[in-house]
Amino acid sequence: MSRRPAAPSSRTHRAASPWLFLLPGLGVVSAFTLYPFLTTVYQAFTDTRTLTGGSWVGLENFRTMLDDEQFTVGLRNSLLYVVMVVPCTVVLPLLLALLVRKQIPGVTFFRAAFYTPVVASVVVVSLIWGWMLDDRGLINGILTFLGASPVGFLGDQWLLLFSAMALTVWKGLGYYMIIYLAALANVEPELHEAAAVDGAGAVRRFLSVTVPAVRSTMVLVGALSSVAAFKVFSEVYLLAGPTGGPAGQDTTLVMLVQRVGTGLNGRVGYASALSLVVFAITLVLMLLVLRADRREELG
Amino acid sequence: MTRMSGWEKALRYLLLLAVLALTVGPFLWQLSTSLKSTTEDIYTSPPAFLPAHPTLDNYSGVADIVPVWDYALNSLKVAVANVLTNCVGAAMAGYALARLRFRGRKAAGLAFVMALLVPLESIIIAQFTTMRDLELNNTLIAVVLPGAVSALNVLLMRNAFAQLPYEIEEAAVIDGANVWQRFVRIGLPAVKGTLAVVAIFAFMGAWDDFLWPLIVLSDSDKFTLTVGLNYLHGTFANNPRLVAAGTIIAVAPLIVMFACLQRYFFRGVGEGAIKG
Amino acid sequence: MPISRRATAAILPLLLSSMALTSCNGDDGGGGSRPDGAIEGEIRFQTWNLRANFKDYFNGLVDAFEEKYPDVKVTWLDQPAENYAEKLSADAGSGNLPDVVNVSPDLAHPLAKAGVLMNLDQEKASSRFRSEYTPEAWKGNALPGLDGTYAFPWYLNTGPMFYNKALFRKAGLDPAKPPHTYDALFSAADTMASTSGGTVATLAGTPSIEDFGRYGVTLMNDDATAFTYNESQGVELLTRYKKLYDKGGLDGQALTNTPEKAGQKFLEQKVAMNPGSAHDLETFKRDAPSLYKNLGITEAPNNTGKPNMYVMGLAVKENSEHKAAAIAFAHFITNRKNQESFAHKVAIFPSTKGSLDKPYWTKDDGTDEGRVRVASAKLLKGAVNYTPVVMSDEMKTVLQNEVAKALQGKKSPKKALDDAVAQSNQLLQQG
Repeated sequence: MSRRPAAPSSRTHRAASPWLFLLPGLGVVSAFTLYPFLTTVYQAFTDTRTLTGGSWVGLENFRTMLDDEQFTVGLRNSLLYVVMVVPCTVVLPLLLALLVRKQIPGVTFFRAAFYTPVVASVVVVSLIWGWMLDDRGLINGILTFLGASPVGFLGDQWLLLFSAMALTVWKGLGYYMIIYLAALANVEPELHEAAAVDGAGAVRRFLSVTVPAVRSTMVLVGALSSVAAFKVFSEVYLLAGPTGGPAGQDTTLVMLVQRVGTGLNGRVGYASALSLVVFAITLVLMLLVLRADRREELG
Repeated sequence: MTRMSGWEKALRYLLLLAVLALTVGPFLWQLSTSLKSTTEDIYTSPPAFLPAHPTLDNYSGVADIVPVWDYALNSLKVAVANVLTNCVGAAMAGYALARLRFRGRKAAGLAFVMALLVPLESIIIAQFTTMRDLELNNTLIAVVLPGAVSALNVLLMRNAFAQLPYEIEEAAVIDGANVWQRFVRIGLPAVKGTLAVVAIFAFMGAWDDFLWPLIVLSDSDKFTLTVGLNYLHGTFANNPRLVAAGTIIAVAPLIVMFACLQRYFFRGVGEGAIKG
Repeated sequence: MPISRRATAAILPLLLSSMALTSCNGDDGGGGSRPDGAIEGEIRFQTWNLRANFKDYFNGLVDAFEEKYPDVKVTWLDQPAENYAEKLSADAGSGNLPDVVNVSPDLAHPLAKAGVLMNLDQEKASSRFRSEYTPEAWKGNALPGLDGTYAFPWYLNTGPMFYNKALFRKAGLDPAKPPHTYDALFSAADTMASTSGGTVATLAGTPSIEDFGRYGVTLMNDDATAFTYNESQGVELLTRYKKLYDKGGLDGQALTNTPEKAGQKFLEQKVAMNPGSAHDLETFKRDAPSLYKNLGITEAPNNTGKPNMYVMGLAVKENSEHKAAAIAFAHFITNRKNQESFAHKVAIFPSTKGSLDKPYWTKDDGTDEGRVRVASAKLLKGAVNYTPVVMSDEMKTVLQNEVAKALQGKKSPKKALDDAVAQSNQLLQQG
């Protein structure tokens, strides 16, 4: 899609009205998100603690990071999360959207049902999954029944991380499915029909018709889900426990922010520095994904 | 549209059912636990899928421990307010970003993208301090304010407005309609679908939020449902059946609301309102 | 996830330097009102997760107090179990702390260090009540590095050890003789592991700082400025745990189990022993009737002869505007009569002098609850709070993660404990 020129506005309102339109949104976002974040930026260079104001320490917090084994682990896990989760959240919901796109009897029920995991809070969802993945939980019960040996999902650092990833994908399926459904509604059905008449197979049709048609949406989904995946907290925190899995090996960056910055003894300065790193990396990720499709941009 | 073969149809339904089991199954398991009576051992292996003696006692038990209806009402107030502020605020900002030409438009758009990237967990205390300075802490208004217009919703609305062919506004401009009239009469009706999406996201977000209401509210009369239900999960009352019943109480209104609105929701989505 | 705020349950880092500013301006200025002034004014009283079960009880106490002091109006607040420390830091940081607040020593320590809690020993108005409490309890809220006591002692709790008699029997162990020392514990766990072929574990968790304490390890130096649990006794304990872990004596998820999760494993009869608190008994009766029939209760294995005890307290805000009323109210809630009546409502123990000599805590009335109550009360005499109050949650995580590395065989027990001590000491110095 090429960028369209904005509609000309009437002369009398040219100066003031755009800002009046922006006022509520910009006001809230500036006052409650951007301005507080400036404080975080400042504190990243101090040794502030939860109950005591800090003094300027320059780059000390960032130097601490380099020696912090948990930071390396957190960075690894967060990046791994993006690499593993994003392809799934880009592709699987698209397939699901294709499945529920056709108006066949009962399809509205299925659409709504697939959206249920999005609606439920992540705490509830993680609780249920924790029970299902347990050593003798539902999934291992089924495995044993099928004659396989049980798997210690919650005892192994990698299985834990992969389980959390599966949970993230599962919970995001319905959300991204909807974004795709909206995009697919714009794909001319005739295109598909023509391809079908040509005798193009389902896979080829998917690759040659569907994918190009929803490409910009895939970019949007990719951008949103990589930011979300890099900032993952709840799923891993709730499945792996507050200490971050066996020996802390499942800690993600935001979990580390939480661990060092919370409580009455929290190292707020160091946590702020970690937050800055998270912010910088998500920014880079977003730019990378958006660059993949130059014709599109969010801002 | 070509007719689907019987074989394809069967395959489709099979796939649909498989995904259904995957997405809804865990919730049914929770529902089943919440209906199990106290005489039933809930820690058996293999787990029992159906309660042997279904009972609603756990639900009344929840209501005995926490004033669940008062909390639900608080949550409802917060969620409805959040829906209104988000729909209005995000639509207006999105319209300005997509349809109006003015100096600083790029910068304004960038501000929302930046806000999207800020790790919210790092600013919650700063938000609390601001509320205290505004003397709003311990009020439901304070619960709503920080998320009253979310950056993500603004960007969704911006994209929706950007999709509209701009010719449709030209006629109105010639008729002498001002910006506000064009926004209300032409813009908004064309993006109903995205508004529905924003409304649902806003409702869910406010309903499920836990940490911010906990921090900003002190008085338990003002607690929202998610905070109040946390009482079920403490040292002195730790009964998984009650916790399950509590989570069902928390989730059910969302599912019901979504089930009621979903026709409109999906029709709106079908209008092609949200697209990258 | 899409709705970003919602997905942040349980997180909350940062405090602003501006908080330091807000806490010393406006109505919070100065050191509060005089502690020996008139008992009057509106005060706020905050408990930790007590409303759900004791609403009427506390409303009754508040009414009784207001009747005694008609010039005082008490507003009772109660916070849910989770994220209590976050709530306290937000409130304390912005000068919003309630006048009377429910704390444990590890919560009291950072608050007192930041100067927001009143030193009870310093003022006659509060120190005159000292003799009403047992000396151990009063000292329980004396904080290292800070001169004085910062909270009125409130209820106490021990950590009884629950065990599953059926699993003991199956393993060929005598269900009437649960292990009382760590030697006995390790040998019982050995037997359990070999007879069950690894299907039943003895314990669901890894050793905590309390375990090190009960094993007889010196946890810190005398002035609580450095950790010392990497001494030979600590290494010995961890080495024995490592052997046990290799043999299957610990649950498969032991490295990540939270106390709640460990409790659940015990309920599911997948582990044979689990530390708990006295009020877990009701949970067992209700949630796992089949376990309850085989439930055994003993004390946690102990090499020192001094069991562990958890202490709750009520602190008074340093710059309370109605300090005299706050002190009077905190004392009222924790006085002998009210502590004893509270302890009749739930299985906790009073910290007031002489209370535990009453028949209610010395005579077994034949019920299960009575049996546990008398056994636990006996344990309380001479009990200590092993967990060092300067040990922050982050330091506890450090210990748990290093212990896990030793159990996994990634580090020797000695190296793991050395590393944990080094990291914790560094954190301690920064504080």
